[in-house]
Amino acid sequence: MESMIHDMAERLFRDHIGHGLREGAAAGQCPEALWTRIEEAGLPMALVPEEAGGFGVPAAEALGLVRIAGAHGLPLPLAETLIANAVLARAGLTLPGGRLTIAEGAALRLDRRGAAIHASGPLTLVPFARWADRIVTIAALDGVDHVLSLPVKDLTVTPAQDLAGMPRDDAGVDLALTDADAAPLPRSLGGMRGLGALARSLATAGAMETILSMTVEYANDRVQFGRPIGKFQAIQHYLATMAGETAASRAAAEMAADSYDTPAFALTVAAAKSRSGEAAETVGALAHQVHGAIGYTQEHALHHFTKRIWSWRDEFGTELDWTRELGRAALSSPRDTFWHFITDSTAQGIPA
Amino acid sequence: MTLTAFPPPPPGADYDDLRQEVRAFLAEELAGFPPEKRAESWNGFSRAFSRKLAQRGWVGMTFPREYGGHARSALERYVVSEELLAAGAPVISHWIADRQSGPLILAKGTEEQKRAIVPRIAAGELCFCIGMSEPDSGSDLAATRTVATEVEGGFRVNGTKVWTTYAHVADYMILFCRTGKSDDRHGGMSQFLIDLKATENIQISPIIDLGGEHHFNQVIFDDTFLPSDALLGEKGEGWSQVMSELAFERSGPERFLSSFALIEELIRVLRQDATEAQQAEIGRLSAHLMVLRQMSRSVAGMLNEGKNPALQAAIVKDLGALYEQDIPRLARSLVSRPAVPGGRDSYAAVLAYTELAVPSFSLRGGTREILRGIIARGLGLR
Repeated sequence: MESMIHDMAERLFRDHIGHGLREGAAAGQCPEALWTRIEEAGLPMALVPEEAGGFGVPAAEALGLVRIAGAHGLPLPLAETLIANAVLARAGLTLPGGRLTIAEGAALRLDRRGAAIHASGPLTLVPFARWADRIVTIAALDGVDHVLSLPVKDLTVTPAQDLAGMPRDDAGVDLALTDADAAPLPRSLGGMRGLGALARSLATAGAMETILSMTVEYANDRVQFGRPIGKFQAIQHYLATMAGETAASRAAAEMAADSYDTPAFALTVAAAKSRSGEAAETVGALAHQVHGAIGYTQEHALHHFTKRIWSWRDEFGTELDWTRELGRAALSSPRDTFWHFITDSTAQGIPA
Repeated sequence: MTLTAFPPPPPGADYDDLRQEVRAFLAEELAGFPPEKRAESWNGFSRAFSRKLAQRGWVGMTFPREYGGHARSALERYVVSEELLAAGAPVISHWIADRQSGPLILAKGTEEQKRAIVPRIAAGELCFCIGMSEPDSGSDLAATRTVATEVEGGFRVNGTKVWTTYAHVADYMILFCRTGKSDDRHGGMSQFLIDLKATENIQISPIIDLGGEHHFNQVIFDDTFLPSDALLGEKGEGWSQVMSELAFERSGPERFLSSFALIEELIRVLRQDATEAQQAEIGRLSAHLMVLRQMSRSVAGMLNEGKNPALQAAIVKDLGALYEQDIPRLARSLVSRPAVPGGRDSYAAVLAYTELAVPSFSLRGGTREILRGIIARGLGLR
């Protein structure tokens, strides 16, 4: 797919993300200057409809930015900000600008207190919370999904991190929100879990493409027994397996991205998140096997990518969560046969 | 990295009206067709079924109208193909001809060959087989020894082909053999279109597979005379002609739906009450299937645009075979019921049939090892 915004993002990330920046971020330094460039390029608005200030590109193309960010190991909440802005726009709330992040809000309790909505409860493992200005979440009030825009400065943030050293913080919520920061979600986009899972599938696919090309390069360069190890059939088959898993992950993630904001999304995202998570196991293991001991060091760049894909497996629903959901849907489907369930679950325009 | 990019099929590729028509047709034609017959998948043979399908316009769908085809897209053909496979319809009688021989003749054949053969393929009348493997040339196709020597008015063929599926009933064979010497290992090869019913000195004998089924044959050419007009395409261009068929051969839904009858049986058994662990496994199986189908449809979309996605096809076939072959193991891990060949319980019978079929899935149409070698080269391993 030819895409101006993809080319722009590729250039920006290629020129400004290196091993040092990723190391610094893993050690706790937010790459502020890089974020400024991302904002100047307008990337965080790509998934917002044109009338709300977006570029008017198709959603699948905007979401492609998340795959590209994954391919470069971007240590910033671009995916989260894209999604947060799209959800805020859907609810008719102001887009505040700055770095945003997203969280599942199932554990939040909402009550009406006069004109305000009071929100309380925990948000856990929120990506980049301490580097974000706001957390956007969805929680139910009187059985209706509401979008909440929570200023991080008003929350109690407890730092934690994922396997790759990226911030995954807990945030305690106890505050009153005006209708500037809380509004009903008129038509679901798939819930924060689904949207987050979509982002992680896309990023996983991108990171795997980088892991694959690093591993091919290494296999061509590294000489043992008098020849590049990529000449050995055993190594070639590992790489072919990695390519298959990577291709499947990307196809899965793009299938879900293609059904963004359609009824098919609920099941395609379940397939995408579980398929790419499973692939992360194989791709990560084989990449390290081919790289040998050097790939197991801090000094080598490989770990920034493998640790990310391993972390992402567990975020926004584990493989077990998503396969159970998909399996329950398959086994309880009113369709005549399993085949009808499969074709209908991916078809555009047929209610899931 | 274009090798790992499978662009989503174009919008509207669901062709829901067509799909519903095919479903209605199959519901009627296959009423009472038992699960253990459906388990034969695309190895099931019925000339009558193929002809009926052709009467509906669902054979030779992508062929031009002037050759009896229907000028429909590769994606419409895809919908029909996957519905046939999912229902376990007996399709082999027309399958090879529809999938690759017809397109090959259309691309490389003479006007006479096209006019004589293609309309009959589209009518569902012709069964094709492919003469490729030999006793000493399996994965190493370039080691082919069968040779066609030019003589007055045509060629004399000598050599032996093996594993030739359905040669014993087929009307035509596309033969791959040597027609000359070449320094290039892939040079000096050609393809021939052989009328098996009208050609003398071809001896076809059965090779019975481990399930007791007769699909394979040995085909011996003993100074077999072929007229000049049996040559298909350019003399000496056989290798590249065969390579151009591979994307059609390796990317279709038959590369991941061969065990589908067992999946339907498994779901039927689990539907009443499944544990969470069983639900998760069915979810995993569903996810893999949805993704394989997406990738395979993506290749159909690329073929429809006139591209040659041979590498992507190799990936689909490699992943698809792993999936198909894993289904008996998965079934065993979820349901405790022994496999019984021909058993009265359809689950047990389908499990038994599928168990014996799966080893062939990563052999036929390019072994796993060959596919992975192709993918590795495509990745740029030097």
